[in-house]
Amino acid sequence: MARLLIVDDEADVREFAANFFRRRKLDVTTAASGEEALEIFERDKADLVLLDIKMPGIDGIETLKRIKSINKDAKVIMVTGRKPDDDESSLKCSELGAADYIHKPLELDELEKIVMGQLQAVRKE
Amino acid sequence: MRIDYKKELEAAAKSMILVHEPDVLIKMIVRNIVQKVKVRHSGILLHNKDKDTYVLTVSGGSSGTKIPAGFARMDSDNPLIKLFKEEKNSRILKDGALVYKAARKLLKRNHSRISKRLIEGALYQMEIFDAVACVPSYFRDDLLGILLLGRKNNGRQLAKGELNFFVALASDVAMAIRNAQLFTELELELSKNKKLFLHTTVALAAAIDAKDHYTHGHTARVTDLSLQIARSMHRNKPQVINEKFLEDLHIASLLHDIGKIGVPEPILNKEGPLNESERAKMQEHPVVGSAILSPIRELKEAIAGVKYHHERYDGSGYPEGLKGSEIPLVASIISVADSFDAMTTDRPYRKALAKEEAMKEVQLQKGRQFSPETVEALTELYEAKLI
Repeated sequence: MARLLIVDDEADVREFAANFFRRRKLDVTTAASGEEALEIFERDKADLVLLDIKMPGIDGIETLKRIKSINKDAKVIMVTGRKPDDDESSLKCSELGAADYIHKPLELDELEKIVMGQLQAVRKE
Repeated sequence: MRIDYKKELEAAAKSMILVHEPDVLIKMIVRNIVQKVKVRHSGILLHNKDKDTYVLTVSGGSSGTKIPAGFARMDSDNPLIKLFKEEKNSRILKDGALVYKAARKLLKRNHSRISKRLIEGALYQMEIFDAVACVPSYFRDDLLGILLLGRKNNGRQLAKGELNFFVALASDVAMAIRNAQLFTELELELSKNKKLFLHTTVALAAAIDAKDHYTHGHTARVTDLSLQIARSMHRNKPQVINEKFLEDLHIASLLHDIGKIGVPEPILNKEGPLNESERAKMQEHPVVGSAILSPIRELKEAIAGVKYHHERYDGSGYPEGLKGSEIPLVASIISVADSFDAMTTDRPYRKALAKEEAMKEVQLQKGRQFSPETVEALTELYEAKLI
């Protein structure tokens, strides 16, 4: 079973997304902060990380950087509530090697497609 | 326990009348749905006009089942949105709602290929959103929003009565949203007009100041001081000094000398005392001002302020020789502010008085030229070093 790590400081988002992907037969773990995410990632690894950018403590971009330093091939999808025209943050994430960058509010079928697509790519590699 | 849907609907309708903000209203409705109809989760997607997308704005239910507000959206090409927009009158929505089970059954029967694909797409969206029924809200032909309903806690189907309730609710909600939007738009329009009007008034006032060389900035100062006096009087007269009063005073003080447009410039700017006929001409300005403004019926109170700002408390002023409480308060306030500013600025025929001197003069005229209450308010401002 593919492993997905969901990182978001909002409990509602975490729980909903976890249920959403569990129904799609994924092994889902959640983390409420960047710190917790790094701990879990180091210990259990994950095939894919869904990472919220705006979080108290170390934010998503910093977390991405550290995940990449643990495993440079880690696949991370960044989630942001920012306006789509905020290029700077998206550019930064792609420089740091994020696999994708998506905006809340999300189209759920798109989210599904993106996550499943990334996991399929992992399996092929 | 059975729920009396008619009663619920009436209660909802009542709250819609009371609540002007649609967000608050919708939150209340969703909370009620989850609690009373006992569904696992519920949410409302609202149309965002700017981006032409439907955003899940409000949601309810326990953590994990409810879709977090602001997390999900449906664009206008989403099959569920398209179905509600394009197939509004089709059989699949004949009861005003899209019910997952009923729609699946209908799919097995005859449908053109396009609509079959559309329905399948829409049902897939319902699966993703974990909804067993969707109720659209229309205002005329516009799809304003969609109410999503999750499974019932007891595992039963939504009963016909329950669905009818939601359909009725949805159309009421649409109306309430539309009303609230119109209300906001109207308020916006109103405040725009108000600003436009005020700026026009300021421009007019500047025209008078430009004509009268020696009173540069006088209008602005009298306006500020008048408003300050009124605000300090508010404590003793909260009923009288209300928002409307302040608005009237604002306009009246800006325009108090507008009638000077009719006074020839040589008189207006004469260095030295005026002779009798010149003074008579000068003293026409309050009446001329009120005549200029008289076609603007909305300005009735402000016009009285312009017309009577040279009346005196003891009845010796002009144009009508009004006395005491016959003089409108707006005019009394402008009168004392006008005189105080005149005394404390240089004039063609004399130097400015120090504020202290001017205050003494004003005190002396308390109950003579000026109404006692306005003098008291001015004194208070002076003593508090606010002027």
